[in-house]
Amino acid sequence: MEVDAPITTDRPQLLLDGFSCSYPDSDSFALREVSLTVGSGEFVVLAGRSGSGKSSLLKAACGLIPHFHGGTVSGTVMVGGRDTSEFGPGDLADLVGYLAQDPETQVVSTTVSAEIELPLRFRGDGDAARARAVEEVALALAIPDLLDRTVASLSGGELQRVALAAALVTRPSLILLDEPTSQLDPVAGDELIWLLRRLNEEWGVSVVLAEHRLERCLAAADRVVAMDRGSVAFDGRPEGFLEFALAVEPALATPAARMFSLAGLPSLPVGVRQARSALSGLVSAPGADRSDRNRSGDPTVRVGNGRALRCEDLWVELSSAGRSADVLRGVDLAVEPGEKVALMGRNGAGKSTLLRAAAGLVPPVAGKVVVRGGVALLTQNPGDYLVRESVGAELEGPGGRAALDAVGLEVDPSVDPRDLSGGERQRLALAIALAGRTEGDALPDLVALDEPTRGMDRSLKDGLAHLIETIAERGAAVVVATHDVEFAAGFADRVILLGDGELIADSDTGEVLAGGWYFATEISRVLDMPGVVTVEDGVVALGQMTGREGPE
Amino acid sequence: MVLLAGTVGAALAGVGAGCGRAVLFSIKIGGAIAALMILVNGLVTERGATVLLRLGEWPLFGAVDVTAEALMAGAVIGLRALGTMVVIGVWSAAVDPDRVLTSVHRVARRSALTATLVSRLVPLAVADQARLAEASSLRGPAATPVGKAAAARRLLAGSLDRSVDVAATLELRGYSIGNKDSAPARRRSRHDRRFLLSGLAILAALTVNLLAGGSQFDPYPTITWHFGPTSLLLAAVLVLGGLVTRSGSGGIRGS
Repeated sequence: MEVDAPITTDRPQLLLDGFSCSYPDSDSFALREVSLTVGSGEFVVLAGRSGSGKSSLLKAACGLIPHFHGGTVSGTVMVGGRDTSEFGPGDLADLVGYLAQDPETQVVSTTVSAEIELPLRFRGDGDAARARAVEEVALALAIPDLLDRTVASLSGGELQRVALAAALVTRPSLILLDEPTSQLDPVAGDELIWLLRRLNEEWGVSVVLAEHRLERCLAAADRVVAMDRGSVAFDGRPEGFLEFALAVEPALATPAARMFSLAGLPSLPVGVRQARSALSGLVSAPGADRSDRNRSGDPTVRVGNGRALRCEDLWVELSSAGRSADVLRGVDLAVEPGEKVALMGRNGAGKSTLLRAAAGLVPPVAGKVVVRGGVALLTQNPGDYLVRESVGAELEGPGGRAALDAVGLEVDPSVDPRDLSGGERQRLALAIALAGRTEGDALPDLVALDEPTRGMDRSLKDGLAHLIETIAERGAAVVVATHDVEFAAGFADRVILLGDGELIADSDTGEVLAGGWYFATEISRVLDMPGVVTVEDGVVALGQMTGREGPE
Repeated sequence: MVLLAGTVGAALAGVGAGCGRAVLFSIKIGGAIAALMILVNGLVTERGATVLLRLGEWPLFGAVDVTAEALMAGAVIGLRALGTMVVIGVWSAAVDPDRVLTSVHRVARRSALTATLVSRLVPLAVADQARLAEASSLRGPAATPVGKAAAARRLLAGSLDRSVDVAATLELRGYSIGNKDSAPARRRSRHDRRFLLSGLAILAALTVNLLAGGSQFDPYPTITWHFGPTSLLLAAVLVLGGLVTRSGSGGIRGS
C-alpha cells in the first residue's frame, strides 16, 4: 500500500484492522487484509476499477458483511466504536447511513414522506420529532416539494435524493455512498457531490464515497483511498493519488491530470479550479478568445436525409401515476448510417423515450419517426435480455453466431450468462438484440444503446467505445443515450442535446461539449476553447499555446 | 374443490377491490407454473393405473407412460401454486404495503426479508415483468424466443434478488431495532366489520371441516376423493368471502 501523507484521526468513525472477507460460494477474497481509518468529519473518495472491492468495503462498513451477505470474515471493523461482528446493520443504523447504486432497491414505502420517516418510526420517535426531522432533511436536500409524491412517480435522480434523505434523517455521523451519481445527469451529479460536501462541512458528517467518475468528486475530497483486487493500493491526499494513478493505474487518473502529465506541466491539478489557476501563469486566460463562438442562441440543427433514423415534428406523450405529459415535443432529427451519436440531456429530458420511439415501443401522438433498415435497441438493464441458462441457448443457429461475431464475443456456448463479466453480459445482450437483424456483414441501420456505461470503469468504457467504432464502421448508425460527458467525448462524432423534450443542440462533439458548464468535459471546462474536449485535444492546444510539442 | 374455491374467492376479492390487473398478472404467472407442474409430473411420475399415453423409451427417463393420475396430481400441485400466487398478488395489490410493513414489524422484528417478501415482492415482480416483457419484444428474430416457463423463472429469480436488496435496505434503516414502532394508529374503515365477519366465517367453516375429517384426495393408484357437506360449505364460504369487497357501495376504494 502506498501512503501519501499521514492521516491523523482523533476519533475514528470507521476503523478496519486487517479485515478480509469472501462471499459464500466464492473461493477468492473480496477484501484482503484491509486496514483503514476514517476520522470524524473526513470526506474520503474510494477509487478503483470495477470489482476492486469498493462496494464490499462499504458493505463491511455498515455491517451488511457479514450479517446480511454471509461469507467468511477475519479481522475487525469498528463503526463509531462498535464492533460489526457483534452489531448488525440495524444496530448501526443510528451511526451510519448507506446509499447504494440502484435507488429502486432502496425504497420500501409507497410515499416519499413515509419513506423518509421510516427509520424514525423504527427508532420509536414521536410524531413531532418525526415531522421536524423529515422537514429539515427535506429542506437540506431541496426536496420539500416531493414529500407528498408517491415513490413510483419519481425520476431516478429524485429517487436517489429521497434514498439519501432516508439515510440522513437519523443524523448519522458516517455516510457511505456507492456510486450515487451513476444514474444522475451531470447537473444532478454535481449537485449531489456539493450537497455531500456541504453536509460534511456544516453537519460534520464523515463521508466515504465510491466513484468511477473521479473528475466529478476529487476536488471535494480530503483524501482518496484506491482499491486494487480487494486491497488498499493507495491512501492519501488527492494530489498524491493523481501521481499514483498516472504511475500505476492510468485508468483512474482524471482527464485534467492526464492532460497536464502528457503536456509536461509540472503539477497535477485536483479539479477544474486548480487546473485553471495553474494554467493562468503559463498561457493566456482560459476562455479569453470567444470571438468565433456561435452566439445566436439558436440550436444548431443538422440537415440530412435520415437514412438510418428520421424524426419529423415528433411528439410523444407518456402517462405516469395517472398524469399524462408530452415527453418529446416536436423533435426534428436525421441520422445517417455510420454516424456515432451521443444523445444527452437531464434526467427526464426524453432521451430514452426517443430511442423507444425509434424502436417502436411507444407510438408518436403527432409527427413521425422512420427507421428504414431495422433497429436494435439495448435498454438500460442488459440483464433483462438474459433469460436462458447458457449463451448457446440464448443464441442458436447461424443467425445467433453472426450476432455474437458482430459484437466480438467469443465465449464457450455452454457458459451461463450470469457467469460472464459485466462487459461480456452487455455484449451478449446486444447480440440478442442484433440476432437475425444482420445480413452478411451488414448490421441494422440503427443500433441504439440506452445508458450503457452505468457502473463501468474507464477501461470497460474504452472497450465499449471500441465496439461502437466497429459497429459504425460496418455501416450502422449508433445512437447512445448517456449522461457521461467524458465517454461521449471519447466515442461520438456528434452530440444531440435534449431539454424538456425539445432538441436544443445538435452538432459536432467538439462544438456541443465545449463552452458549456454541465454538459462539458473536464478539459473543456479547464481550457474553455472551442472544439477542445478530449485529453488529446487539450494536449495539442496546450502545446500550441506554450510552444511545446504535444505527444506523438 | 376447496383449493379451487379458495383461488376463485381470492381472485373475486381482488377484482372487487379494483385490482383486476394484479389478479390477471398472478393468474398468468401462476398458470404458467401450474402448466409446467402438470407437464413435469405427467412425464416423470411412474405411478397411476390409467395410462393415457405410451411415449416409449426416453434417454434418462426410461419408459415414459403418461397417466391420468399423474396429471391430476400435477394439477393439484399446480393449483396450489396458482392459488398462492393469486393470494399473494391480491394481498400485495389491495393492501397498503406501508401498513403491512408496520404490522409485520410488530410480529417479525428480526426478519427484514420476510417483511420484504410480504409487502414488496409482488410490486417488484410487476415492475420487473414490465421490463422483461419490453426486453423480450426487443430480441432479434434469430434469438431464441422467451418461453413462458423461462420468463417465469427469470422473473421469480430477479424479483427474489431485488427483494434481498430491499431487505438489506430495511435492515440499514433499523428494522430490527427493538423499539416500539411509532406509526400512527390506523383509522377505522366502514368495511372493517364485513371483513372481520368474512374472516370469522371462513375460520369457522375451516374448523368445522377439519373436525368433520376434511376433504380427502388421493391420486394414486387411481383417483379417489371424498367431499363431505362440510367441504362444500367451506368451498361456498370461501367463494362468498371473496365477494365481500363487492358488497356495499363503491367497493373498498375511496373509503
